[in-house]
Amino acid sequence: MPGTFASYLEKLENSRVWRSIFRSGRGTSTLHNALAIQQNVFLHLFPTKVRKRMLGLGATWYLGTLTLGTFIVLVVTGVLLMLYYHPSVPLAYSDVKDLQFAVSSGLFLRNLHRWSAHAMVFLAFAHMFRVFYRGAYRAPREFNWVVGVVLLLLTLLLSYTGYLLPWDQLAFWAITVGTNIASAVPLLGDKIRFLLLGGNLVNANALLRFYVLHTVILPLAAFLFLAVHFWRIRKDGGLYVRESEPGVKAKKTSEEQESL
Amino acid sequence: MQTKNTSFIASLKAFLRDPYRVFGVVSVILLLLLTIAPAKDYFSEWHGFQRQYLRFITNRGDAVTLRRHFEGGIQQIWIPKLGVVDRCQTCHVGLTEASLYDVKEQPFRAHPAMPHKLTEFGCVICHRGQGAATTVKEAHASEMAGEEPILPTKYIESSCGQCHHSALEGTPKLNLGRVMLSRYGCVHCHTVTLPDGSKMQATDDPPPLTHIADKTTREWVYAWLKDPVAYSATATMPNFNLSDADASDISAFLMANSKPGVGDTMAVAETHGPAPDPTAGASLYGESFCASCHAAQNAAGNLVGGDLGPELTRVGNKVKPQWLMAWMRNPQKYDPNTPMPQYRWSDAQLKTITAFVMNKSDSDYMANVHLQPATPAQIAHGKALVVEYGCASCHEIAGVPKPDNFGPDLTRIGSKPVVQLVFLPGMEHSLPAYLNQKIRQPRSFGSSFRMPRYNFNTNQVEAVTTELLSHTDRSFDLPAELQVPTVRETNYQPAGHAGQLMTDLNCFSCHRINGHGGDMAPDLSWEGTSVQSPWLDEFLKNPNTLRPALIRRMPKFNFTDAERKELTDYIMNVYQNPAFLRDEMPATGYAPDLVEKGRQLFYSKYACQSCHMVNPDVDKGYIGPTLTKVGSRLNASWIYHYLKDPQALRPGTVEPNQHMSDDDARALTAFLMMQKSGSKGAK
Repeated sequence: MPGTFASYLEKLENSRVWRSIFRSGRGTSTLHNALAIQQNVFLHLFPTKVRKRMLGLGATWYLGTLTLGTFIVLVVTGVLLMLYYHPSVPLAYSDVKDLQFAVSSGLFLRNLHRWSAHAMVFLAFAHMFRVFYRGAYRAPREFNWVVGVVLLLLTLLLSYTGYLLPWDQLAFWAITVGTNIASAVPLLGDKIRFLLLGGNLVNANALLRFYVLHTVILPLAAFLFLAVHFWRIRKDGGLYVRESEPGVKAKKTSEEQESL
Repeated sequence: MQTKNTSFIASLKAFLRDPYRVFGVVSVILLLLLTIAPAKDYFSEWHGFQRQYLRFITNRGDAVTLRRHFEGGIQQIWIPKLGVVDRCQTCHVGLTEASLYDVKEQPFRAHPAMPHKLTEFGCVICHRGQGAATTVKEAHASEMAGEEPILPTKYIESSCGQCHHSALEGTPKLNLGRVMLSRYGCVHCHTVTLPDGSKMQATDDPPPLTHIADKTTREWVYAWLKDPVAYSATATMPNFNLSDADASDISAFLMANSKPGVGDTMAVAETHGPAPDPTAGASLYGESFCASCHAAQNAAGNLVGGDLGPELTRVGNKVKPQWLMAWMRNPQKYDPNTPMPQYRWSDAQLKTITAFVMNKSDSDYMANVHLQPATPAQIAHGKALVVEYGCASCHEIAGVPKPDNFGPDLTRIGSKPVVQLVFLPGMEHSLPAYLNQKIRQPRSFGSSFRMPRYNFNTNQVEAVTTELLSHTDRSFDLPAELQVPTVRETNYQPAGHAGQLMTDLNCFSCHRINGHGGDMAPDLSWEGTSVQSPWLDEFLKNPNTLRPALIRRMPKFNFTDAERKELTDYIMNVYQNPAFLRDEMPATGYAPDLVEKGRQLFYSKYACQSCHMVNPDVDKGYIGPTLTKVGSRLNASWIYHYLKDPQALRPGTVEPNQHMSDDDARALTAFLMMQKSGSKGAK
């Protein structure tokens, strides 16, 4: 049976349709494998070659990937939530109630979105700690560290803007306090607050602004920086391995020579 | 054990070494986790109740009908205009099934009969709770910001009061609460604004204390302050829980602050003449119908009489005789706003009635009150206490201005969030429970609270709580066309000399004219169209009762002939119904066969004798006025139009509208006009 299945698979992969989509073709040579990665729009951000050891849990604890995973969950559940939610003062709160009480699995959807958001913030921090204490931010990866910091800020802003959308007392006062903190910025403080709220009070304009920020502007920015972030991993020499760093390598060889 | 564990971990490690296997296992776990969501939906509470309902109706005789009416899934009443999204019927499936009214098991009972349709207002506007919720706890007990828990049924009438601002037949508790809020002067200290922007007005009449030393003694003031109920069981003055020293200081201040009244004072000596005949006093008290307004305890300890004026059981302990006599002569001299009329008694009658009223006393009352003369420091302290307790919110006190908004504004008290309330330990955490306790024992929340305690029974406390709960945010947010406004009191005042006479007599304490006045006695707005002038003149000379069933009657006012004639002329000429002419039908001269036809209609077709009496020997009706002399009392055209549509001439009368033909009404009018005083009438 497996033999038969394999032969069907082989036939499929050699068919014209398959070949027009996956141009690298079937094969196990290094070139084939490299092309499979490089010629795929989704995968070409990643390096064509990875050390097998780096795929183990111990190397990264998968923290970056998990952060990306929560982000994907957030995008999917967020889009589904948008189907039920109106960012308007009379409807916002009752839409959240509808999600809780009347929409099929609506509460699950909402809770998944909420817990994923919490998880994403936690994972992003964990990822950064790991990178920091491993020293993986050092040259040539300084720029990707900066991109990572921007991504952390975007994550926090997404979290904050989403807080207002249920339009309950907690949301209202959290945003009131938050924007008042922003107004403490010297010189520009009140302008920043006005810009954020679209007025001087947390009201319909603020709700709309936070909705647009939360569902359009910040996610698009996050996509952009994520693309750069992944692409830079490849450009900066793949995942960080201490032993492969030039300084460590040189030192190690000299130590080995000494011991000889 | 150790080895077993290590071997388990070793085998797990071996298992996980194959990435495909790990991927497969993780995928299966994820899939299982994902099925939790739809499963939770399927096993949700409301699904359970709907399944339970279907099982419940299976064994009933009306199962087929009920099953046909049943619709599965979330059910909701949606009224965007009122902001109603009520999903209560998702679980309360049989709410509109009349045949389920006897079901004890909630949530399947049918709703009892109600004045509004379910689809008209939904559930939450009356019952509170969270209408959008589909779980028992969230729907009934949520207290999160903005959500209200279900209103206990004993306070449900408060919800009617959100739109209906006048008394309703079906809401005795709310009506009582409204009357009490005004009658006990709650709204002197607490502002209560209604949705139409008007403020609730007090209907009590707190006496001015400007000349209180003329009226009573410091000892009585002290005893009254300590416990008003000890003096009179019906006292509307609340108990401030004053210490002996504080009560003594306040009484000292009030006495020191009092100025002698100007004008009508009567020498003390005049009250000490020969002892008036006690029976004369009792009969004067009786024929003046003092008891229509004033109550007094009888020998059996029962309170008898009206509640418009203060209770007189121990009045002899309170007032000074010379003050009482001056008061009886002209009450408006002492208190211009008093509802008490001027009786125009002769000096001899004044002496008799004063002696009779002074005799209403209790030798035990105040027997132990002995006050030392007050020092200036005590008087000053008394004034400070008067300011602190806001006495001037109700009473006029010289030198102490009326404080504005002395108590908290209660305009939206019915929607106050639970998080803003401070509860006593062990107390139920709900707004109705808080209000109830606050009314019952205001000082239980702390000795620093100034609110006094009223002597209310459980029913009265619940009535006031119900009233307060009706002042909700929703009552302001509902569309204006739903508001049923209260009947506004006009400021009608009759003009001229006759008008002054009516003011002196305080006709408006009992009678209502052109939208102004009390409701104890008939509305006189169209009295001139209704009655005949000679009858009115005779009635004012010696008021006799028209309704045998009534205890409260019009008192005798001792008019001079000129005064009586002036009043009669004024009423006959001014208080006319604009819809028809008084004299469009004759008073006499009806054809005998028409009268006979009227008699038959009276006794057979309309059976008027069940409520009215024409022939006292035969008829037994006593609900309506006696009609033996109605032909001398009422005008023919009034009778005719009244028979055609009683409610048009006397709104709210129990007289049924029989939708009589013109001929029937004319025949009955002819028959009734034949019932004249002095004539044999129906006999």
